[in-house]
Amino acid sequence: MSFIDSLKMALRSLWSHKMRSILTMLGIIIGVGAVITVVAIGRGGEAMLTSQFAGGGNDTFEVYYNPSDEEWMSGEDPYSKTQYTEEDILAIESIPAVDQVIAYAQNSTEVGYREEEAMAQVVALNEGYYELHELEVTSGRLLDDRDSDMGRRIAAVNEGFVEEFFEDVQNPIGEIVDIENTSFQIVGVFTRENQSIFDLEMDEILIPQTVWPMLYGTDDMDMLNVQATSADDIQEAGDETTQLLNEGHSLAGEYEVLNMEEIQEGISQVTNITTMIIGSVAGIALIVGGIGVMNIMLVSVTERTKEIGLRKSLGATRGNIVSQFLIESMTLTTIGGLIGIGLGAGLANTVALIAGWPLLISLPVILLGIGFSMVIGIIFGLLPANKAAKLDPVEAMRYE
Amino acid sequence: MIQLNDIQKKYEMGDQILTVLDNIHLEIANHEFVAIMGPSGSGKSTLMNILGCLDQPSYGTYRLEGMDIFKQTQTSLAAIRNQHIGFVFQQFQLLPKLTAEMNVELPLIYAGVKKQERKERAQEALRKVGLGERMKHFPNQLSGGQKQRVAIARAIINDPSLILADEPTGALDTSSGEQVMALFEALHREGATIVVVTHEAEVADYARRVVTLRDGEIMNDGGRETCPSSTV
Repeated sequence: MSFIDSLKMALRSLWSHKMRSILTMLGIIIGVGAVITVVAIGRGGEAMLTSQFAGGGNDTFEVYYNPSDEEWMSGEDPYSKTQYTEEDILAIESIPAVDQVIAYAQNSTEVGYREEEAMAQVVALNEGYYELHELEVTSGRLLDDRDSDMGRRIAAVNEGFVEEFFEDVQNPIGEIVDIENTSFQIVGVFTRENQSIFDLEMDEILIPQTVWPMLYGTDDMDMLNVQATSADDIQEAGDETTQLLNEGHSLAGEYEVLNMEEIQEGISQVTNITTMIIGSVAGIALIVGGIGVMNIMLVSVTERTKEIGLRKSLGATRGNIVSQFLIESMTLTTIGGLIGIGLGAGLANTVALIAGWPLLISLPVILLGIGFSMVIGIIFGLLPANKAAKLDPVEAMRYE
Repeated sequence: MIQLNDIQKKYEMGDQILTVLDNIHLEIANHEFVAIMGPSGSGKSTLMNILGCLDQPSYGTYRLEGMDIFKQTQTSLAAIRNQHIGFVFQQFQLLPKLTAEMNVELPLIYAGVKKQERKERAQEALRKVGLGERMKHFPNQLSGGQKQRVAIARAIINDPSLILADEPTGALDTSSGEQVMALFEALHREGATIVVVTHEAEVADYARRVVTLRDGEIMNDGGRETCPSSTV
């Protein structure tokens, strides 16, 4: 008896109990669909988190100050004396492993427009800033190094700032705002791309770096990012930078470096563990689905006792009967698995679209899904198939 | 050629031993038409299951076409049932989800015959039993007599050495029953070996030889009571 004949027989039998077959498949559909979705979401989320943390993979790291316990307890702002001076920046730039230093100053302050005043984040920057932060211009332009060199009192603001201040203004370009009693003309509006989930949505106003001392009387920078000459040099560049800063400032706390590689590994570990936990719950769903298949196949064997007896009297061997029921349960789980993969892929795609991360469903995962459904069919079909094959034909045909 | 030699069948029920068949010696030549008669409980169904290679006796030997049946493996018994025996049951035993044609094809599927040939042979068998017009009908679209003729077509599809019919008219009205028996008679004239198990004398009348069982033993073997001399 050929496989094709067996398959046709199985399909005919499943087709004759459509509702039951669909309900039985549901367990497998949900199980496989859940596994596919969870794995795809895990991979996609990891990819997104990694790209956010690694700063686009341009070998940069951020330097930050970690205050000592005493500084925390003193009641003063522990960050008040931790700014980076021009000497610091020049010294770090002279480290061989360092390609360039990107520093900027920022302060949350009152900004005035006509009679209104509101809080906004003022950032003083030069062009290096754009290597760390992807900004998209929605109208006008961004600030460049010429603006900085010439000390122009101009500013670019984000969409949030526009909403806050220029609700009634048709075109914010050209409008004048006041920061610390200094007037700035708006030249551009931007939005941040790849906004990380850790970034707060703030009203932002960007100004040329050289204007900063006019406002605050210092050219010290608040934020320091260092770009290493290559990925292999990140460690060395980081060590030398922190050593330099700690010796130069002799503060109670320490300057430290956010190591991207460690963070990446951490993220990947966290997402892997999460994927594994949710995946194993989905796997349990799959096993429960398999038990459902076994249950229905056992019912089917009992229902078809007479048929099995007859088939045996017509010359079906035990092998024929086993393969009939195995192929039936495998067909059931494989079709269920295929539907589950389709459903899981659709769901993962929807989530990826909404969350804005890449859709990562690989062929191996799909093949694994199909293979796994087949195996479930075999494992959970084995018991019913054996039960059927062992039936005594005389007894079976007498069964009512 | 069928040879049953000293067949005994016992069932153990608790500490009671029930002897269903005892001391059965039976030889059936090719082309014979034999009726096995007896009241219910006489062991005729058990005898038929043994003849059909569906059941094993507790003791004795059975040779079918020279093969020692009780020394065969399960798999070769399945093949023997498939190739050498055609069953006709009282309740027809057709699969309700299959058409008449597909029901008749079943033994050929297990014989590994290709689809096209299966179809042709099934159609030929159905025409032979007078159901050439009903091939695509499902069992529930057929009358009792028609169902039994489909079952007979299925029984003869592999051109078996032995056709075994268990109360083939038991579920039929008189006229359908007569048609079915006439069909057996026609098959017998063409050379088929037929064994019919029945408790109805009218059915046994079609046979050339009647074996009567009582309490598991052969009481009478030979001609019909109406025609005692006609053995083959």
